[in-house]
Amino acid sequence: MRFSPPMSRKNWNNFLTNAALIVVVFFALLPIVTTIIVSFKQQQDITRKPPTLFPCDTAVQAFDPTACRWSVEGYERVIAPKPSESSPLGFAVTGNLLRRYLPNTLLYATVSALFVVLFASFAGYAFSRYRFRGHTVLMTAILAITGIPLLTNLLGLYQMGVTLRKLPIPFYDDRIFIILVYMGFYLPLSVWIAKGFFDAIPRELEDAALIDGCSQIGVLTRITMPLALPGMLAIFLLTFVNVWNEFIAGYLLIPKNELKPAMFGLYEFLGQNIINLQVIAAACIIIAIPMVILFLFTRRTFFRAMVEGAVKG
Amino acid sequence: MRNIFARRSEKGRTQTTLPFWLILPTVLVLLAIQVYPAFYTIWLSVQEREPSGWTYVGLKNFERLFNMSVFGESIGHTIIFLVGYAGLTLILGFTIALLLNRNVRLSGFYITLLFIPWIVADIIAGMIFRLLVFPDYGLLSGILQNPSIIPPDGVSVLTAVRPQPWFGDFPFPPSPALIFLILASVWRALPFVTLLLLAAMQTVPGEIIESSRIDGARGWQIVRYIMIPLMLPTLVVAVFSLTLSGMNGVGMVFSLTGGGPGTSTEVLSYLLFTIGWNQLQFGRAAALALLIAVVNWLLITGTLRITRVNETE
Repeated sequence: MRFSPPMSRKNWNNFLTNAALIVVVFFALLPIVTTIIVSFKQQQDITRKPPTLFPCDTAVQAFDPTACRWSVEGYERVIAPKPSESSPLGFAVTGNLLRRYLPNTLLYATVSALFVVLFASFAGYAFSRYRFRGHTVLMTAILAITGIPLLTNLLGLYQMGVTLRKLPIPFYDDRIFIILVYMGFYLPLSVWIAKGFFDAIPRELEDAALIDGCSQIGVLTRITMPLALPGMLAIFLLTFVNVWNEFIAGYLLIPKNELKPAMFGLYEFLGQNIINLQVIAAACIIIAIPMVILFLFTRRTFFRAMVEGAVKG
Repeated sequence: MRNIFARRSEKGRTQTTLPFWLILPTVLVLLAIQVYPAFYTIWLSVQEREPSGWTYVGLKNFERLFNMSVFGESIGHTIIFLVGYAGLTLILGFTIALLLNRNVRLSGFYITLLFIPWIVADIIAGMIFRLLVFPDYGLLSGILQNPSIIPPDGVSVLTAVRPQPWFGDFPFPPSPALIFLILASVWRALPFVTLLLLAAMQTVPGEIIESSRIDGARGWQIVRYIMIPLMLPTLVVAVFSLTLSGMNGVGMVFSLTGGGPGTSTEVLSYLLFTIGWNQLQFGRAAALALLIAVVNWLLITGTLRITRVNETE
């Protein structure tokens, strides 16, 4: 009869580390998992004392997987589908969160992220490739701006919005204002990140292309831009997620309900569904899931931007 | 100086206007969205709204602010929140980074999963945690409100009042809601801090740890006498950035407690919102915003001092 050899010290250590990390991951994801479970419950399973994790108990058994009363009631009430002939899904979405607030958020996040990428890469390129008078002062000033608390600025921005609305500016809209505000919030850090990315592109490459007869604009479009592309993508994603997740500015600076973003819609839900926990949970999941999926597919880009931003900023 | 767009003038100095035009859009946006509102807030802090318009009142706003009983209380709440939030996040983040630093085969997988809370918006995180402790029906309430687990009659996090303070007016011990707010904030901040500390940990040269091990240093000693001193700049940056995010973050208070029960989770940033937008005392709110901004500036200057040591340009 043969005994398996005892676990070596190294393997044992490795096992312990993995076990500890699994516990950490478990606790990190627990609140999210419970929210998903709650979002699939029925009202009568929500309002029960004491609460149960799974709605799977029967009169005779505490847990019977075949008797689970899962439901999509919460999601139905967020989406509020109405049968419709013209819609490709066969129903029209009438819930305010998805029909009104979510498109606003998509617009704000996309447009402000695009402009932040454009402006930050301009400024980052200039700071990385040129030495001019006021270079260090400007860089430090841009970093120092991140020290102005959001709420301090909101007081000024709120009054600014009130004034702008009264002025007879053609085509003016609160949407333009809020996009500018988001750009102002996320530009400082993005400029620093962009400078870091441009610093990492060796100037020897640009010089070599110049010597080989490439034009100056050609160097920019053929050498520098393609190499900087992953960095620009990182800034885009970071800004997009930040704007998507931003609540207080969208809540306070936009007076018209039709123009408010999805985070406000969620907050509104919280007030309307005091006891309907499954509806709140479903709304949270619907708004959070796109960002989680985006993150899972682009995590490498994210981590690069964050480490870059954290080291410099 | 290599400069692909520059032309040499007769004086031999490199001159180009290109960087100016590249930086201009960023500077304009920042002047409008960050610099102007900051100055506006300074102006606002010495003004009061009268029926005839804004009038100068000197330091009256500050005086009134200091006389509000909730102001002193909020400072206490903010201090307790910041100490608990930064302390707990650092300790847990350092421990998790230590685990991830042990060359676990799946570390990329763990990091990705651990990072999901960071991608969830603060207002959604607040709602998720609110669902857990919702009176009677939250899943955690089932445990916390059970008298046989927490004697004498269990704790309902969202409604329990603050215990009698031990030291005069200082609101310690905090209410269960404030403790829970700290835990929820730690949950969301942990991924970022863990990644930051892990990045710093990986720059600690393996040879130093190896040689100290040969000299007889054991686990905790290596951490205490080798890793922490070598990681000190990053640790300080982490403390400052946690303090900044803790002071200015307000979304989670909105969706988790709304400042309650009573005023027991009213931190300074939420108080600023209450004074400004609920009571419409913009002058007084500006005074409070300035005080918060001063603390922010001190922290940013500190961070700059420390990061500049690393930057050799």
